[in-house]
Amino acid sequence: MDTAEATRQIYWNVSHVWVMYALALAAAVVAGRGLYAHLSRWRRGRPLARFDRPAERVKLLLKHAVAQRRTARDSYAGLFHQFISYGFVVLTIATTVVALDADFGTTIMRGRFYLYFQSFAVDLFGALVIVGVLMAAARRYIKRPRKLVHTDEAALVLAAVLLMCVQGFLVEGWRIAATGDPWAGWSPFGNLVARASRGLMSAETMRAAHAFAWWFHLVTSLAFLAWLPYTKLMHVLTAPLNIYTANLAPLGASLKTIDFEKEEPFGVNSLGGFTWKDLLDLDACTECGRCTAVCPAHAVGKELSPRDIILQLRDLMHERPREAFGLVAAGGRAALTPADEEPTVGVEARKPLPVIGTLPATSPEPLWQCTTCAACMEACPVFIEQMPKIVDMRRHLVMEEAEFPDSMQEAVMSLERRGHPFSGTQATRMDWADGLNVKQVADARDAEVLLWVGCGGALIERNQRVTRATAQLLEQAGVRFAVMGREEKCSGDPARRIGNEFLFEQLARENVAKLNRYEVKKVVTACPHCFNTFRNEYPQFGGAFEVYHHSEFLARLVEEGRIKPLAASDKKITFHDPCYLGRQNGVYDAPRRLVQISSRADAVEMPRAREGSFCCGGGGGMSFVEEPPDKRVNQERAREALATGADVLAVGCPFCMTMMEDGVNARKGERDVRVLDVSELLWEASRPREDATP
Amino acid sequence: MSEVVICLFAAPGYDKAAQGLAGAGRRLADELGARLRAVVLGAGGEALAAELARAADAVTLADQAELAGYQPEDYLAALTQLCGGPETRAVLLANDTYSQELAPRLAHRLEGSAVGDGVELRVEGGALRVVRQVYGGKAQAVIEPKRLPAVAWLRARSFAPARQREESCEVARASLDITPDARARVVERRSEAGGESRLEEARVIVSGGRGIGGPEGFETELKPLAELLGAQLAASRAACDAGWVPPTWQVGQTGKKVTPELYLAVAITGASQHMAGISEAKTIAAINTDPDAPIFKNSRFGIVEDYRKVVPVLREKLAALLRES
Amino acid sequence: MNILVCLKQILDPEVPARDFRVDSARREAERGSANLVTNIFCENALETALQLRERAGGAKITVLSYGPPSAEDSLRKALAMKADAAALVTNGTDATNPDPLAVARVLAAAARRLGPFDLVMTGREAGDWGAGQTGGLLAEELGLPCVSFVDSVEAKDGKLRLKRQTDAGWEVVEAAPPVVVTVTNDEHNVPRIPKVRDVMMSYRQPLTTWAAADLVADAGESYYEVAELFIPQREARCEFVAGDTLDEKVEAFARRVVEITRAL
Repeated sequence: MDTAEATRQIYWNVSHVWVMYALALAAAVVAGRGLYAHLSRWRRGRPLARFDRPAERVKLLLKHAVAQRRTARDSYAGLFHQFISYGFVVLTIATTVVALDADFGTTIMRGRFYLYFQSFAVDLFGALVIVGVLMAAARRYIKRPRKLVHTDEAALVLAAVLLMCVQGFLVEGWRIAATGDPWAGWSPFGNLVARASRGLMSAETMRAAHAFAWWFHLVTSLAFLAWLPYTKLMHVLTAPLNIYTANLAPLGASLKTIDFEKEEPFGVNSLGGFTWKDLLDLDACTECGRCTAVCPAHAVGKELSPRDIILQLRDLMHERPREAFGLVAAGGRAALTPADEEPTVGVEARKPLPVIGTLPATSPEPLWQCTTCAACMEACPVFIEQMPKIVDMRRHLVMEEAEFPDSMQEAVMSLERRGHPFSGTQATRMDWADGLNVKQVADARDAEVLLWVGCGGALIERNQRVTRATAQLLEQAGVRFAVMGREEKCSGDPARRIGNEFLFEQLARENVAKLNRYEVKKVVTACPHCFNTFRNEYPQFGGAFEVYHHSEFLARLVEEGRIKPLAASDKKITFHDPCYLGRQNGVYDAPRRLVQISSRADAVEMPRAREGSFCCGGGGGMSFVEEPPDKRVNQERAREALATGADVLAVGCPFCMTMMEDGVNARKGERDVRVLDVSELLWEASRPREDATP
Repeated sequence: MSEVVICLFAAPGYDKAAQGLAGAGRRLADELGARLRAVVLGAGGEALAAELARAADAVTLADQAELAGYQPEDYLAALTQLCGGPETRAVLLANDTYSQELAPRLAHRLEGSAVGDGVELRVEGGALRVVRQVYGGKAQAVIEPKRLPAVAWLRARSFAPARQREESCEVARASLDITPDARARVVERRSEAGGESRLEEARVIVSGGRGIGGPEGFETELKPLAELLGAQLAASRAACDAGWVPPTWQVGQTGKKVTPELYLAVAITGASQHMAGISEAKTIAAINTDPDAPIFKNSRFGIVEDYRKVVPVLREKLAALLRES
Repeated sequence: MNILVCLKQILDPEVPARDFRVDSARREAERGSANLVTNIFCENALETALQLRERAGGAKITVLSYGPPSAEDSLRKALAMKADAAALVTNGTDATNPDPLAVARVLAAAARRLGPFDLVMTGREAGDWGAGQTGGLLAEELGLPCVSFVDSVEAKDGKLRLKRQTDAGWEVVEAAPPVVVTVTNDEHNVPRIPKVRDVMMSYRQPLTTWAAADLVADAGESYYEVAELFIPQREARCEFVAGDTLDEKVEAFARRVVEITRAL
């Protein structure tokens, strides 16, 4: 046999092909209607530029939609997802090839291509889809992970996919058996069906069964396609689109600015207040539940669930779009209802349904539990931005309602009045420098580096020691540095994360103006929150600074031999990644280098480290909030740190310091663990010693 | 002969404040070469008047029916009549709420000048000057009233009491022309149960921290100590969070901000969040095992030792000292 | 009901002791890097007024401040908290210590122009000089009764029920308007945080401005004078009580404690 001639007859055993076109058209109409509904809903969102930098976006798409890197972080789910998704892609290509040959007169489906791809590969991938579906079903219905949402739709989707693939093999098998296909060996699974059928069915029965199964397969497949835009399977389209339009900046640059002159209302309390990308996010969700699984607030038993925020907003958008977008008055549908879902010109603007409080997931309690750690965003395989939505809704509560937790109010008031959030402190900005010869920028215009102390580093007693250690190390290395002293004010991070964008903007403008006046170029800070603000947020306010976390700067000084850590300890150290340094800005190695330098013992890692690190509980203004004693994020993290058997819990953030000290202290008695900043470790190893022997 | 007048209310009796006020009045009168007259307002003032008669040169008791209980407008009218003589050089009151309420208005009606919350009286160049704290205790000011009489209300408890003479002066009963002022009347008056009074107003606070180790420590050690000192009990966040004591006891940044004369911190490290709640305490004293604990940085005096060893002995010593006085 | 709330702008009382300096010659605190804020008891007064308006189903609240031009900020904030109208009387100086009677006279003159009022409110005292006299003197200047240390106000049958704190507990004073009250803090009159939108709007609202000299032609004689202002020396460090044995140490400790409690 000449393999070049290998092919099969399209529409073998099928008559009235026009019915297929009619059905396809119907399916296309139904699906199109669904797609159009999606599109018109997204278009109700506010504008946002997310189609710039196409090269980077394509790269991201290849990495995360095609290679599915994030999905694959969960190896089991990643595997079955690849089986199903790649299987579908292959099957779709194969179907397209058939359509081309049938309707456009091409002859692609021939020869080697027919054998290798159209027969063998398609058979193999079809089988992989079945394996994938079974794996998914086993996980969903036997292992039953808590993070999954158990819906009928999910079951139906799995059943439908399974059914379609099985039908495909039946159709193929009966065709092979009935026609005595010479190339049967290239379709191993179809051939299996053929061989099994030969013993059981007559040729006539097989023919009839084939015809029935062909039509049934066609109807179910077209129905499936028509149904797709109305289910979570829509993510086969929305997920790649969402990845393509993802935020390309670091996670630390996720929050939007507000134009206070033009925009209103401030913050978001309705679906239409979100951007189109936020709304696309909702439809991109695959319900995988990873965001909630990694959420620190959720982990300690609080109500916050980023997954439920997304899903409940999505359901609201699908089920009550007209109320949610303010096309009809909430609750009432009679007189004011426009005939279609489009806004009718001249219909008076109606108040959209508020999302805060209407949905359990977006009621104020959970919104005020978020530490803005961004673990949810890092975990999401399709790049949904959960945390910025939470902050958007906080903005509404703070700026439009002035309804937020008392202790956060106190912090905000203190920020307004004193430029720091620690109401009641008796410390001054320069207490930490007692006895040190630290210059202030006004008197040291030749300084090469500004040490930005931060409110935590200046005003919290424990962190003053960290600032001291950092300053002494800089001095030892001969770095000409200066501080802002009394002129320093909060970077604005807590105000921004709490939701007072107005106050953040004031602080940002004030700080940037001051720093520019002193012609500051290079900034070093021991506070990852200040670091993030300087790096990702001040550029929008005219502040272009070269910013280093102190761990980066100090690690470089060690590398250059300007700091000589000669007295490493034997302490076993574990490092806790600050969210705003690690996950949100990608700095993981510099602090670890300092840990490594400071001790001869091997460092130990906590199970949740680096991008998967678990928040200390202090971000997003949460360090000002009293958490219920049995639901403390810091204690959960302290437990993890203690379990490593480390002697020292190293940190790199003033908030982490407070939270982890509290957490470790609460577990005193279990083991004695010290909490030290990486700069303290380095200073301990390199400070001059009186007892030093030459 | 010029006159110094001290004004007191019958209800509290001859308490520390009354004794301090009498002492302050006596010394000022002597320094000015003036007479000291005591004025007692309110029903049941005989006993107080009798005590004052051994310190003052004259005592007037105004306990007529219209003045039986405190009514701001009526009492003000009464004091205006009682202090309004041309010889009146100074009028002194204690710093209870009624005195604070009346003093500025009394000064206005007497066309004098009031100064409040004095901790010391000075006579310099013939002029009376009042020393008082300003800016939340961060600074002190010396204030000279420019109009006479000078009306001053004092932190009377911190003035030394008057020496009580053997002999008494006469107690005169005033009969004043008082028309009850209908514009503002006290219609309801409640005393809060002694033990439950407000932490923010406590003058002595005994406070325990994480180092107390459990609810028993509060119950068996700190509670009797507080009772001995007439102090309120308080706690750090750690102790409240641990559920050892109710959350209403919490002092600190997220708890209550207190302003006692004495804050006795037992087994409290003194994190800045805690210190934020006691920055206005006059004196902080600490008992802690760690000499480097931040609490000592803000304490006037302290002792480095386990509180379990200190407190029982401290109770004995205090009991003995308090019996002496 | 017409309510007047008097607000004083003061140096932030939370300025840390180490940053606090005084100019002994001028007998004024130095501003330094500290902020100016509305006196907390004045804010308690405003909050009490706002709550009264909410409960009574309406009232006009006017806020009034006498001070340096920067006191406008306090008034704007009050407008952001939803006061209805604001008036500023400036004295042309930054001095914080015009004497209490002079202040009361200016406030009384302004109140007469802005009024009539049913209720005039002040804070019990200010966090800077803490004289605690403005309310009482203002009442005398206006010829009204005065109730001090009030923490909540209710309007009932044309009368005001004023709950106020006393040493022993609390009292209710029933007053027929007009009346002056001084307000103290309690858990229910913690000043609200204004909405950001209202903060922005507050800068577009009108503000009546007068010079003090236009209201009170003759300042009159001086009421009192600050002769000295200084920062008292404090014991900088903790004294660890001395003694050879624990018993001796505790004895010394007990004596220090009794020294203090005895003075009370």
